[in-house]
Amino acid sequence: MRMLTRLPVLLSIVALVAAPNRALAHASDRGFVLLLPTGHYIIGGAVAVAVSFLALVALKPDALAGLAARRLPLFRLGFDPRPVTSALSFLALLVLVATGLIGSRDPLSNPLPLTIWTLFWVGLTLACGVFGNLFRLVDPWYAVMRLIGGAGRQAADARMDRMSYLPAIVQFAAFAWFELVYPAPDDPYRLAIVVSAYWFINLAAMLIVGHGRWSRTGECFSVFFRIISQLSVIDARRDGGGFRLSLCLPGARLLKAPPLPMTGVAFLLMALASVSFDGLMRTFWWLGRIGVNPLEFPGRSVVMAENTAGLFLAAATLTGAFLICVWSGEKLSGGTAGFRRAAGLLVWSIAPIALAYHFAHYLTALLVNGQYALVAISDPFARGWNLFGTADLHVSAGVVMGPDSAWVLWNLQAGAIVLGHVLAVVVAHALAARLHDDPRAAMRSQIPLTVLMVGYTVLGLWLLSTPTGA
Amino acid sequence: MSDTSRTISFLRKSVSRRSALKGLAATSAVMAGPGFVRYAQAQSSAPVKIGFQAHRTGIGASYGRWYERTTAAAAKAINDAGGINGRPIEIITEDDGTDAKRGPEVVEKLATQHKVDVVYGTLFSHVVAASAPVAGELKVPYYVVSEGHHVASTKLNRYVFQPGITDVKSQIQSTAPWIAANAGKKVTQIFPDYAFGYDHRDYLPPALKAQGAEVIKQIAIPPTETSFTKYFPQIPADTDVIYHVMIGPAVLTFVKEMGEFFGSGGPQLFGFIDSLEAVDINSPGLEFLDGSHFWEGAPRYAQPNDSDAMKAYRAAVGIDDNGASVNDAKDVSTAAHMFGCWETLYVIKQAMEAAGYQGPQDRAKLVEATEALTDFAAGPEHPQGAKTFNGKIHQCFGSQNISKVEGGRLNVVHTTSIEDGLYEPEGDYTTQPL
Repeated sequence: MRMLTRLPVLLSIVALVAAPNRALAHASDRGFVLLLPTGHYIIGGAVAVAVSFLALVALKPDALAGLAARRLPLFRLGFDPRPVTSALSFLALLVLVATGLIGSRDPLSNPLPLTIWTLFWVGLTLACGVFGNLFRLVDPWYAVMRLIGGAGRQAADARMDRMSYLPAIVQFAAFAWFELVYPAPDDPYRLAIVVSAYWFINLAAMLIVGHGRWSRTGECFSVFFRIISQLSVIDARRDGGGFRLSLCLPGARLLKAPPLPMTGVAFLLMALASVSFDGLMRTFWWLGRIGVNPLEFPGRSVVMAENTAGLFLAAATLTGAFLICVWSGEKLSGGTAGFRRAAGLLVWSIAPIALAYHFAHYLTALLVNGQYALVAISDPFARGWNLFGTADLHVSAGVVMGPDSAWVLWNLQAGAIVLGHVLAVVVAHALAARLHDDPRAAMRSQIPLTVLMVGYTVLGLWLLSTPTGA
Repeated sequence: MSDTSRTISFLRKSVSRRSALKGLAATSAVMAGPGFVRYAQAQSSAPVKIGFQAHRTGIGASYGRWYERTTAAAAKAINDAGGINGRPIEIITEDDGTDAKRGPEVVEKLATQHKVDVVYGTLFSHVVAASAPVAGELKVPYYVVSEGHHVASTKLNRYVFQPGITDVKSQIQSTAPWIAANAGKKVTQIFPDYAFGYDHRDYLPPALKAQGAEVIKQIAIPPTETSFTKYFPQIPADTDVIYHVMIGPAVLTFVKEMGEFFGSGGPQLFGFIDSLEAVDINSPGLEFLDGSHFWEGAPRYAQPNDSDAMKAYRAAVGIDDNGASVNDAKDVSTAAHMFGCWETLYVIKQAMEAAGYQGPQDRAKLVEATEALTDFAAGPEHPQGAKTFNGKIHQCFGSQNISKVEGGRLNVVHTTSIEDGLYEPEGDYTTQPL
């Protein structure tokens, strides 16, 4: 609960200082971006990513490993807060589901859709990317499982080992489809049903195989946030009954990450592809492909088949492109690392891109709907309450409007995309050193993947600057 | 931070306005408020439920935000003055995602689950067209604020009304006399190549012809176009006026490239503010519009001769002299259209009071009472100006404003007469059974 209530306050500060979103996809915002020299940014971004690859060639092989190993101790947390935070999170979820069922019908006044789509999916992802796996704290199953005695069970389960990340893939695909394709993901009542069903399905699975085992490869948000939090600048290590926290460089923890199995590779690539497709499906280009007039978008319900196909095609295309790059990199380097191991390790380099695109794509949504969320949580049941003093806050949509905001937002977005891809190249370089003893072979193995990353930089910047209509 | 707290404390005063939109719970908030004494004297103090079919998400959301604010302000004003027939009104908002399939679902849900008295507030034409049949089947009066010609075309049904905003056919027609007399006789039209543009393509030429002017060229631009320079050579050299109605994200690019093409010269420009609704007129790229003219329903900028009613309306909705939110100077309103929400709610009030409306059993009486309306006087209930209402085609007709961009503002230079926008009715809803 504390986490849930503190987060919006942080968001509001960001919103008030800086400067659209799904709910505010006003044509004019992208109109101002169209006037900016975005083509120069795209070329510049591509060059920056390519040059960073070349610069790494000149770097001593162990220099990155040395940097990544650096830690600045912060403090020791003498206890594990999870039982308390998870219980509070579960109670908050109960309240939120209740608001969805009986609260306001307006998706911008009801706290459930705002919490799920803005605070949780956008805000918590960014927070995990910076501060570490906060989802572990607010996991709404842990406290319940602990209560009924299934939290600590880590039974070996052959079925789970066989399925590996498949359950997480299936659940994430369903989530992405619901977010991007289903006509009314913001409808409070329907969302309450879906959230409840998701909670119960995963509780049932945890009762069968244990909370820890299911969280590792079954429950898709546990998996997603664990992957994203590998980028964070805070390294939390178990220390007795508590944790020892220290600062590290962004992405440093990725260098020690174990290789993911192929299903894990597919999961991570699907996560990135889904957010990229969320950008793509609004573009004039995509709407033209599916025969929809972008100035007269008829509504999601009309394009469900096309966008369902597009979503899965996007995931398949990215996965295919990544695997081809890894495979050809292996060929170029003499093929000593093994394709599966190389793919499982190098896929971690996609994580910074996923986080960067998540930030850039959802930035405007966060800034505006974050404010709506602040208002909504003060009066969750639309009864005229003002629990946190924010019920009458004026939602300032102007923070994302006009040429000045367009310039600031575009630069933040472009900066994030380029930095994310540069970090991806650096991480891939360091991971390649784990795969190849010979630095020259490691470098050669990275050429195709670097081409992919340059291409994805261009794609990401194009998605954020091309005209949109839906 | 001090700015923030000031904003919050200032806004705390508006609590009842916010509650008006919060759904079912708003009733208890209203009943507990100081206005309750007045309602208690009415036969029934149960609220009149007005279902608001709102574009809260989807492509209509930026318009929807201002429709919501205007609706909240009007609902508060009506309740502060004693409600409808002594009963408070309650706005029940349902989001339709600006989606043609969800639109009818929302109308049905409002009518059958929320048991609203009327459904109101729809803007986007494709949602209106899809929702109207359900309103007709369920026999629930459906008051739209869309400006489309679909209601007046009499192709919908007897339960659909547009009493708060003039339809686009009338808007276009009423600008013709001013264009012919002031801007020039030879007009080239540039419009997007789909339904929105076709209204202008089809309605302007006959209207201009009646004024002794003519459309000499029509240039239809594909909706996906993002660069326009290649179309400008098609503009005939003897063009006096370019009549432009481009919309979408590329509008700014369109204006910028037109400026680059013509330099400091070129024909006169006349546009519909729909192109730049909610966009700051002083944005970079729009410099070329200086000195050009626009149609506006209600003026975005405060005018020197604004009536007290217009001033009060602007204050109630919360827009400043530049037509932006009083709380947020960058949040430019959809001023040219949103007054229609305010005026429509007052028409519903007027019709319900004329019908002695008590509940859903009186819906047919309400339809007939609405059809019997003929004139709306300018004043607090109709701040945009006086209007006539044609009960046979369920459409109101009002004056339109022609504004000039000068000094970074839109100044009204001409207000059309209601007669300028009248046309022969295309049918008669009143012959349909109730």
